[in-house]
Amino acid sequence: MTTEFLLCLTVLFLLAAMGAPIAHAILVGSFVYLIADGKSIGVAGKVLMDGLYQSFILLAVPLFIVAANIMNAGTISDRLLQFCVALVGRFRGGLGHVNILASLVFSGMSGSAVADAAGVGKVIIAMMTKSGHYTRGYAAAITAASATIGPIIPPSIPMVLYALVSNTSIGYLFLGGILPGLLMAGVLMTMNLWISHKRGFAVEDPVPLSDFPKITYQAFPALLMPAILLYGIYGGVTTPTEAAAVAALYALILAAVFYRSLSLHGFYEILVTSARSSAAVGLVIGGALILNYIVASENLPNRVASALGGLDVDPLLFLLCVNLLILLLGCLLDASTIILVIIPLFIPSCRELGIDLVHFGVVAIVNCMIGLITPPYGILLFVINAVTRIPLVEIIGEIWWFLSVLVFALLLLILFPGITLWLPELMGYAG
Amino acid sequence: MRDFLRLLRRFGEAVTALFMLLIFATFIIQIAVRYGARIDGLVTVLPFLNPDLYGWTLEFCLALWVWLIFWGNAFVVRRRDHVTFDILSASVPRPVGRLFLGLTGLAVGIGFLASIEPTWGRFAILRLKKSATLSSLLGDWIRMRDIYSIYLVFLAVVGLRAFWSTAEAILGRELPARADKTGGDDA
Repeated sequence: MTTEFLLCLTVLFLLAAMGAPIAHAILVGSFVYLIADGKSIGVAGKVLMDGLYQSFILLAVPLFIVAANIMNAGTISDRLLQFCVALVGRFRGGLGHVNILASLVFSGMSGSAVADAAGVGKVIIAMMTKSGHYTRGYAAAITAASATIGPIIPPSIPMVLYALVSNTSIGYLFLGGILPGLLMAGVLMTMNLWISHKRGFAVEDPVPLSDFPKITYQAFPALLMPAILLYGIYGGVTTPTEAAAVAALYALILAAVFYRSLSLHGFYEILVTSARSSAAVGLVIGGALILNYIVASENLPNRVASALGGLDVDPLLFLLCVNLLILLLGCLLDASTIILVIIPLFIPSCRELGIDLVHFGVVAIVNCMIGLITPPYGILLFVINAVTRIPLVEIIGEIWWFLSVLVFALLLLILFPGITLWLPELMGYAG
Repeated sequence: MRDFLRLLRRFGEAVTALFMLLIFATFIIQIAVRYGARIDGLVTVLPFLNPDLYGWTLEFCLALWVWLIFWGNAFVVRRRDHVTFDILSASVPRPVGRLFLGLTGLAVGIGFLASIEPTWGRFAILRLKKSATLSSLLGDWIRMRDIYSIYLVFLAVVGLRAFWSTAEAILGRELPARADKTGGDDA
């Protein structure tokens, strides 16, 4: 590592630790690097603009954000929730199961865990606490834990970011996420069932079967969305980026025409909110592009790869170590920073060691999503705290059980690549 | 002054909303045109659906996306919308927090404003480079430097805003609270 690079990292981390936006800290850090390296600081802007202007795939990010916001603003999420209550609400720990199932269904439409937690999550936390059977900490914790499934089941913004840095097929990545997402839902439901029995949570009144057709009818158009998205992408009808636009359009038609729950002003507000968060995320992506340029000119990934190649490391051991590192970093850094800045460091090593990049990507993203709920820095914990005012201490007190089963699921995904790769291979992925 | 700032903010928001809407609409047009071309005879009846007329959609979306990011960050994104690492800065005592805010504002302000001139120099060559497809939509005048110029606006505005936050820190205005943080990371 050169002195210039060390200086860059010092400035970056110092500014970030003092609370400067990560993207601004990266820009200033890269200016320092360029000056120390005797280059013009104008290079940073050129690299950043060229990078953004060439990455067509990134256009999916604002579109998925719009789609998720439309679904939250309309009554689409409420209708889905009613459907889930009718389906699994009757079992012990029912609303906990509803919570997980809703995340699973909703994740098939939105690409963002934060949108899941702030939208459907907020409603279900209110339901759980109102029922009087669950503590508010438990309700918030299970919501946070299940929201992590969102970006694992396609569509997924983090997967779009990973596809950008790794040059893997976004279509196969999306497919690779389906079984791991179901596995995560499975372990969370098992944990919810166990805790519900142990603590004797009361059973809710079941929704009468006679109401079932009506509830299903109302939720059906919304339930079609994942099918439309997947058919669009895998039927060769649209590119994954176009599928994001189709998802947004479908959500708009549902909310405005079918459910009549979205006004013109509401739509304008959605556009502003979506643009605001897209711009914030876009700037972090831009910062990461500069940082990747610096890391590449330092030849760091190849040095890591050749050092590991010389050591003759076992691929499994490598995967375990990298995942442990991401898990630890996830306690401190946010997911987009890890995916865009840290993960590219290991991609050449993966190639060298013969680790499949779709497998690596899905595992790393699951890991980053777990990072969204690991204290002290877990964005999902903050979001739930902000939208529900449930104290962080209570949420964190209940999160550990769910966290541990998610880590267990992660371990299974690392040890058995087949869970991730079975579906992509079925659809023609050659590895 | 306050009313003027509010008006400016409203205008900034309306422009980002427009960018967002245009990206969205352009994608839909792109898909519609592609499938329209497969329907026999449709293009003869509705000549404006001829796919040859829509070669610009992809680059138009990219240009809008770049403008959305930098216009948005200059005029619409608030401090609390950013992805930040605030474990430390949110837990230090108030005076230290003010010091942090002041110092980071100073560093970002100096860095951004100082980079405007060298960046303009790097973009100079782009004044000759034509856009690959946008001329057919926006006219022959457009050059890559026009598209990239929004980055300089971003540098100037965010640099000045950073100095402003340093001034606020010195004057002891309200610091941003973490509980407000609901956006920013949409990963």
